[in-house]
Amino acid sequence: MKAIETDIVVVGAGPGGYAAAFYAADKGKKVIMVEKDKRLGGVCLNRGCIPSKAYLHAAKLIEEAKESSFRGVTFGQPKIDLEKMRAWKESILDKLAGGIESISKNRKVDVMYGRGYFEDSKTLRVETKEGQKFVKFSQAIIAVGSVPALPSAFDLGNPRIMTSDQALEVEDIPEDLLIVGGGYIGMEMGTVYKTLGSKIVVVEALDTILKGADPDLIRYVKNHADKVFKEVRLNTKVLKMSTSGKKIKVSMQVGDADPIEEKYDRVLVSVGRAPNSQDLGLENTQAEMDRKGFIQVNNRLQTKDPNIYAIGDVVGGAMLAHKASREARIAVDVICGDPNAFENVIVPAVVFTDPELAWCGLTEGEAKSKGITVEVSKFPWSASGRALSFDRPDGMTKLIVEPDTDRILGLGIVGVGAGDLISEGAFAIEMGATVRDIAETIHPHPTLSETIMEAAENFYGVATHTIGKKRDH
Amino acid sequence: MDVLLPPLSEGADSGTVVSIMVSEGDRIEKDQTILELENEKAIAPIPSTAAGVITKIHVSEGQTISEGSKLISVDEGGEAGDSKKETKKETAKEAPKAPPKQAPSSQQAPAAAPAPSKTAYEGQTIYDPYLDYRYDSKSGFPPPASPTIRKVAKLIGLDLARVPGSGNGGRITLEDIRNYFQHILELAESSRRQPAQEGSGESAPARKPAESIDFSQWGEVKPEKMSSTRKTIARRLQDSWNTVPHVYQFDEADISALMEMRSNYKAAYTKKEASLTLTALAIKAAANVLTQYPVFNSSLDEAKDEIVYKKYVHIGVAVDTENGLVVPVIRDADKKSVLDIALDLQALAEKARARKLTGDDMKGSSFTISNLGGIGGTHFTPIVNPPNTAILGMGRGVVKPHWTGKKFEPRTFLPLCVSYDHRVIDGADGARFIKAMVEAFEQFPESEIKLTQARKK
Ligand SMILES: Cc1cc2nc3c(=O)[nH]c(=O)nc-3n(C[C@H](O)[C@H](O)[C@H](O)COP(=O)(O)OP(=O)(O)OC[C@H]3O[C@@H](n4cnc5c(N)ncnc54)[C@H](O)[C@@H]3O)c2cc1C
Repeated sequence: MKAIETDIVVVGAGPGGYAAAFYAADKGKKVIMVEKDKRLGGVCLNRGCIPSKAYLHAAKLIEEAKESSFRGVTFGQPKIDLEKMRAWKESILDKLAGGIESISKNRKVDVMYGRGYFEDSKTLRVETKEGQKFVKFSQAIIAVGSVPALPSAFDLGNPRIMTSDQALEVEDIPEDLLIVGGGYIGMEMGTVYKTLGSKIVVVEALDTILKGADPDLIRYVKNHADKVFKEVRLNTKVLKMSTSGKKIKVSMQVGDADPIEEKYDRVLVSVGRAPNSQDLGLENTQAEMDRKGFIQVNNRLQTKDPNIYAIGDVVGGAMLAHKASREARIAVDVICGDPNAFENVIVPAVVFTDPELAWCGLTEGEAKSKGITVEVSKFPWSASGRALSFDRPDGMTKLIVEPDTDRILGLGIVGVGAGDLISEGAFAIEMGATVRDIAETIHPHPTLSETIMEAAENFYGVATHTIGKKRDH
Repeated sequence: MDVLLPPLSEGADSGTVVSIMVSEGDRIEKDQTILELENEKAIAPIPSTAAGVITKIHVSEGQTISEGSKLISVDEGGEAGDSKKETKKETAKEAPKAPPKQAPSSQQAPAAAPAPSKTAYEGQTIYDPYLDYRYDSKSGFPPPASPTIRKVAKLIGLDLARVPGSGNGGRITLEDIRNYFQHILELAESSRRQPAQEGSGESAPARKPAESIDFSQWGEVKPEKMSSTRKTIARRLQDSWNTVPHVYQFDEADISALMEMRSNYKAAYTKKEASLTLTALAIKAAANVLTQYPVFNSSLDEAKDEIVYKKYVHIGVAVDTENGLVVPVIRDADKKSVLDIALDLQALAEKARARKLTGDDMKGSSFTISNLGGIGGTHFTPIVNPPNTAILGMGRGVVKPHWTGKKFEPRTFLPLCVSYDHRVIDGADGARFIKAMVEAFEQFPESEIKLTQARKK
């Protein structure tokens, strides 16, 4: 069979893959993008960021309606039509995937549906509906992403034991839902299911949920979860799961106590994600993986194979869509011979719980563990007019600062809408900005963004709405 | 307080630590010797500028250090540790056996100078605010710079950790990058004008590496390391040869009368513990001529396009020592008597042979004399000793038959050669100068030799 020739083949059409394909096409390369799913967009669009946020939006509506009664606005009990809700979600995904598809056409990126497999360092075999096709490429960019990890002990083949993939389909609303893993996916899905009516128990093996963020910020999320979930159990290990009629019997151990057994209607396992590097034919190339299966790359996203680049979740690091897209541009630049490397100072992270938690750069905890001296300036949202105007003073904005230079090293925000606020911190850090730069930038009133300015002013002890320590400036 | 290496002699900006005379914990007095440094032309004791207890010694034996290098830290109020004091002598004696640490001086100096300020002695950069700068990240973050600036750096392959930032919080701006390159360019240009010395750090442009030849393929050989004095001589003469267009003007002076006067006054000088040498007389003769022909007593300042005429006459005298050539300076030779000159010369020559010359002894000459007559040979062509513009070479006086117009007479003739920098001095002046020199020897006034006044102490 005659091979199809191309400059670049991109394997996987997630936020890493399509960003790479489009940018490479813009730079004049002939690009083929291969996707095994029937819809473009990757995990992010189909089973990740977008559907989860769609549901979270619906959840927020329900919550706000409920909370409005004390403001004198009372709604009736919400009626939830799951089928309609799924259709609504699908319509969003179709719209977005269609967008990617039409942009592909516009930029003359050839989309090839089918599973890709490396025959060697120059050839990708694609199993399409019309049979096998062979793509001869100058360079390949692997962006095959990741899948939810399901430890074999939990993999009973019982559909009531779900990963995020199934949980986002919301087949029914389980009365009792156990969420194993208190990371961001578990906490977000818990927020959705709780609002739909489930009783949620979250178990987490570590001593904190949302590990990575600072405890003083996590506290707000935990407090809220403690209130609206049935329980958040820390230091707890799930030992075993078994099918028990229409339920799942779960045995777990809290701390050193004797194991307990409980029954749940459904279980969501959200204990991490595994790279999609298997069954890819990597062994036919020089590209190498680490023990966990993440493809090894340098900061130019080059694998050990000179023709092959890898980006996104499959290379590990922060497994986030925006990191994948950034890496996409760098890989393409490097391929085109334009100097570039992943030298971003930071990758911001957002947890879309209620309240939202977002941070970027250095955290206070990280500074402590690395022995880096920092100064911290906080602004509690209880002093924010905007936060009070919608009755959510449960928030905090926190700056991590390099002493002497006043350079901003980190920003952490917890509170409603934190995710939309964090970019100012990311921008400040990438710019090498100082606290004074933020303090002296006019922030519009009344907005939540003011909390960042006030935290900055607080650093110098001159915030308008709080009392802080005075310092030289 | 930190004690830094003071300025060394002219042209020498670094030296090798031969031995360290003190130990940490010792009490040191002001002017007490800290270490001995083999620099340009001598082993010089380096005295302390502070008194107190030594809290830290920053150098090690064998290390090359440069002006401004941190030598020791002294606690001016501290008390000495007794035990250490006792071991002091031993340490000093054993020290030379310690394996020399090869540490480039440039790595030592910057730490001593945290502020990005330029300290220069006689045009030599000790701390360079750019070359010695590295971003010190306490947080592990890269240097503060916007993504645009980082992209620029990436494109041109510049490590931003080398660029001092002027913005708020030390942020690096495009202007900072411009200034950085401007500085680098200036350095490159100035070092091309004045090839840098080995060991003087990063400002030295890499000289084309010389290829080593295996001489043993033709017979037995014995390679010997060049001493730092030798290396300095080699470098400086190479510089002179490369940059100064030389003209050599020859003549002979009839010094019969002068030699006679010399033997007449020799004893009187000896009584004053001075030896009346031809070199001393030549210095006096040259000093007189130099005041008439100031261009031979000038220097070329290329950076400013200026010829600098000196109102003083400091004459450098090439002295042959076991360790090579050194050039101590007789100051104000025009104002000194022959006796004073003779005494000075003697003292300096002794110091030179004992390798005790200080940097100051060798700095600031305005003209040079090289007298090889004591050894032999006739005319030779000495190489100008920058920043001088001229040098006088004296060969061995020879008795020759001289036609007086009536008869042949035996006269002693001194072969002379003045080499000069043709950029500054024209050929006609060269001829005039040597003619005047010849006359100065031939008509040396006896009054100058006579011991009329005693040396003022
Ligand atoms: C529930 C959930 C919520 C999330 N929320 C967020 C969020 O809020 N913000 C955020 O930044 N990130 C979020 N993420 C993470 C985000 O989805 C991923 O980081 C992102 O999708 C990674 O992009 P990618 O391009 O590397 O790979 P993916 O998006 O995983 O795309 C890889 C694509 O490659 C295809 N593929 C795999 N193997 C082959 C093959 N052999 N041949 C052809 N095609 C193949 C797959 O079908 C897939 O479409 C979430 C993830 C989940 C699961």
